[in-house]
Amino acid sequence: MSTAVETVKQITEREYQWGFVTPVEEETVPPGLDEEVIRLISRKKGEPEWLTEWRLEAFRRWKTMEEPRWARVHYPPIDYQAISYFAAPKQKERPKSLDEIDPEIRRTYEKLGIPIREQEILAGVAVDYVFDSVSVATTFKKKLEELGIIFCSISEAVRDHPELVRKYLGSVVPPGDNFFAALNSAVFSDGSFVYVPPGVRCPMELSTYFRINAAGTGQFERTLIIADRGSYVSYLEGCTAPMRDENQLHAAVVELIALDEAEIKYSTVQNWYPGDREGKGGIYNFVTKRGLCKGYRSKISWTQVETGSAITWKYPSCILQGDESVGEFYSVALTNNFQQADTGTKMVHIGRRTRSRIVSKGIAAGRSQNTYRGLVRILRGAEGARNHTQCDSLLIGDRCGAHTVPYIEVKNRSARVEHEATTSKLSEEQLFYCRARGLPLEDAVALVVNGFCREVMEELPMEFAVEARKLLGISLEGSVG
Amino acid sequence: MAAPRYRTPPSELVRLGERLLPRLPGDALAEVRQRAWRRFLAAGIPTPRVEDWKYSRIDALMAQPFAAPTATAPAAGTVRRAMAGGPAARRLVFANGRLVAGQSHVGGLPDGMRVMGLAEAIQHRPQEVAAAFEALPAPGPFSDLNTALAADGAWIELNPGVRPEVSLQLVFVAVGEPSAVITHPRVVVRLGAGARLHLLESHVAEGEGHVLTNLVAQLQLAEEAALVHERLQAAEGGHALVGRTVVELSAGARLLANVATLGGAFVRNELEVHLRGEGGEALMNGLYLPRGREQVDTLVRVHHHAGRCHSDQFYKGVVDEQARAAFAGRITVHEGAQDTDAYQQNRNLLLSDEAEVDAKPELEIFADEVRCSHGATVGGLEEAGLFYLRTRGLGRAQAEALLTYAFAGEVVARFRDGKLARQVRQGILARVPGGAALDPEGLVA
Repeated sequence: MSTAVETVKQITEREYQWGFVTPVEEETVPPGLDEEVIRLISRKKGEPEWLTEWRLEAFRRWKTMEEPRWARVHYPPIDYQAISYFAAPKQKERPKSLDEIDPEIRRTYEKLGIPIREQEILAGVAVDYVFDSVSVATTFKKKLEELGIIFCSISEAVRDHPELVRKYLGSVVPPGDNFFAALNSAVFSDGSFVYVPPGVRCPMELSTYFRINAAGTGQFERTLIIADRGSYVSYLEGCTAPMRDENQLHAAVVELIALDEAEIKYSTVQNWYPGDREGKGGIYNFVTKRGLCKGYRSKISWTQVETGSAITWKYPSCILQGDESVGEFYSVALTNNFQQADTGTKMVHIGRRTRSRIVSKGIAAGRSQNTYRGLVRILRGAEGARNHTQCDSLLIGDRCGAHTVPYIEVKNRSARVEHEATTSKLSEEQLFYCRARGLPLEDAVALVVNGFCREVMEELPMEFAVEARKLLGISLEGSVG
Repeated sequence: MAAPRYRTPPSELVRLGERLLPRLPGDALAEVRQRAWRRFLAAGIPTPRVEDWKYSRIDALMAQPFAAPTATAPAAGTVRRAMAGGPAARRLVFANGRLVAGQSHVGGLPDGMRVMGLAEAIQHRPQEVAAAFEALPAPGPFSDLNTALAADGAWIELNPGVRPEVSLQLVFVAVGEPSAVITHPRVVVRLGAGARLHLLESHVAEGEGHVLTNLVAQLQLAEEAALVHERLQAAEGGHALVGRTVVELSAGARLLANVATLGGAFVRNELEVHLRGEGGEALMNGLYLPRGREQVDTLVRVHHHAGRCHSDQFYKGVVDEQARAAFAGRITVHEGAQDTDAYQQNRNLLLSDEAEVDAKPELEIFADEVRCSHGATVGGLEEAGLFYLRTRGLGRAQAEALLTYAFAGEVVARFRDGKLARQVRQGILARVPGGAALDPEGLVA
């Protein structure tokens, strides 16, 4: 309840809360993309020859590919030559401790409500801060090191653990997988790397805060998480971007690999700049996220709360290869004003007795378009596979759209696949009930919407759930009444 | 590079069309036909890369060396076995798309009801036929091919308030010919305000062969009109059907569309319903039981353009052996269509590990005062149900047959015409493994 009250306070002055630009000295590569730029990025990052070649190969593939057009999103053509493919905060050396971090950057994170120290001490969260693509500080590294857990930027991983990176990079999302994944493979700037050794249960939530800062730069994160036999890790990803007029492109790739009896829980709260009330500006979020349940009884669980971005094109997926492996997808996608979201998941059942569960809650307000697009595929050999999908949409106002596009493909008769979906309007009765008890309209809406999303919110780690609830209320500001 | 979305039409098909086109009757239609033909040539044959054809495999079907049908009358027994609609039902019989006058009977209709072959309509009212052809919304390659080459079919008109007591049946017989043939029958139905019609449509086969029926039906319902349209497809023996039905409903009009697919190498049922006036209702039920290497596609598009309408889709499938079934249903609630109730259910039973079911139940909603839901399931038989029956002394095979029959029977219960429903039940028993043993005395028959 306190959440709703806080929401009111925050709503009073709300446009996009995180629309500030941090004036840090940046090192930027001039706009444009060719093999020279890729070599330059690779050189700047001191990468080995094989990785440079890997990038170039991806770039050559990308040049032959077409931008996907099947999603229900509309945007003017993107000029890929007008984007700067690398922006790094200028720093002579890696900081030894948090105190050495540029105070401006520190202040940015504080405005985002994630004071590093506080999180360190209170929440026990190890955060790998990603500031315009380059990891600037990693906390709790020592504690993790004692357990043999590797949690670092992908650039560091390339340097310190090349065998792991080389083995797994591109093994779940191959460089030629799709247009945006190919682009990412060619130019990825930085991102996070996690390796959890056999039998280790990661004692804390690992977290990265992504933040797009520099103007005219695309953000091309690459995340790789490997959970070895019998291990467990929970990973949080939070995203915000400053307010800018032009549209910024974000094309990230996330790869998860779970070996025998390992479990990965990946949670995202995405709150990038959605554009203003007239639909001007905002982030294009074209992301490829995929997890491979490679081992017997492995499990991958995606939870996402998507409230930001002008356009979201995102389908966190699970390849259920190991027998009895489990895939889960819990999603809340909220769109307001002129936002467009086309998001969902893919569950590909290969192994025997594999199970998957999909819970998707879409909320459309203003003039936004919100689409759930999902695939459940049961292959011939997936004996006894199970899937249950629940897709609900909530409409707030009569000028928005909510769409459901599920694909179900079954080739095994012992499989059981169930899909259900509903679409309805924000209940007048529930609003009236709340208001009769003295709640202002905005609070009542936030409360009802949070109730609608409860199943998904419960899957979020606690510190994320609080933030996500606030976000829902904030994002809906001005949509009713 | 990306594979092409459409393929150039096979040269045999193009040559056949070029040859037939100038010979078709009706000067008033010539231009409409030419335009459609050019569109067809420009577009080509859809591949699975076209979203609406994602699960269809039609390359082999379209690559057959088609010849023009040489109209032959079917045997009287074939027609008799297909008869439905009661003893007084009126009937138009077609052999490979051509009206067989001798076996048709449309005499003694009430005033204000006109039923004739399309060839006759083209002769007597070419302008109206041209206008109807032109009015077909969003034609695709197959519709264009039909518009270009439709030579016969049915023209049915009911004046306002006309409510015939008898049903009207269209019997399409696929008569096996030495070479593959393609036919393009067109059905146009226009119901005036408050008119009512019970229309039955049967597709049967006589002899093996490769008859591809490319049917287009345009059904127009004025205010408060009501149409029951029931289609049974049981053309076994290598024949194929691509059927597109477009229904336009004005305010307060009601549609009940039932379809059962019990045979056909490739069957595609496209149903497009436009609810254009307030208070309209569209109930759609379908059943498909492909086996062998049969393929059944169901594509349903329900458009709520106006408010206060109700639509309900209920489709079930039993898929056996190496058969494939695809269901793509979509409910679109357009902007301003407030107070809409729209539902969709698709349930599939997979009986074989070599069979495949693909379902794509979609919702597309641009209004907020709506109650919409859909559900889709794919799976094998329920173990609990089988166990229950077995504790009552049924063998496993018998229990499976009974459960499968019951699963399909739920759709048959929604059929209105008793005779047609019986024919569907017989078809199910013949197709369900162990089905014949369920009814050894032929009680259902």
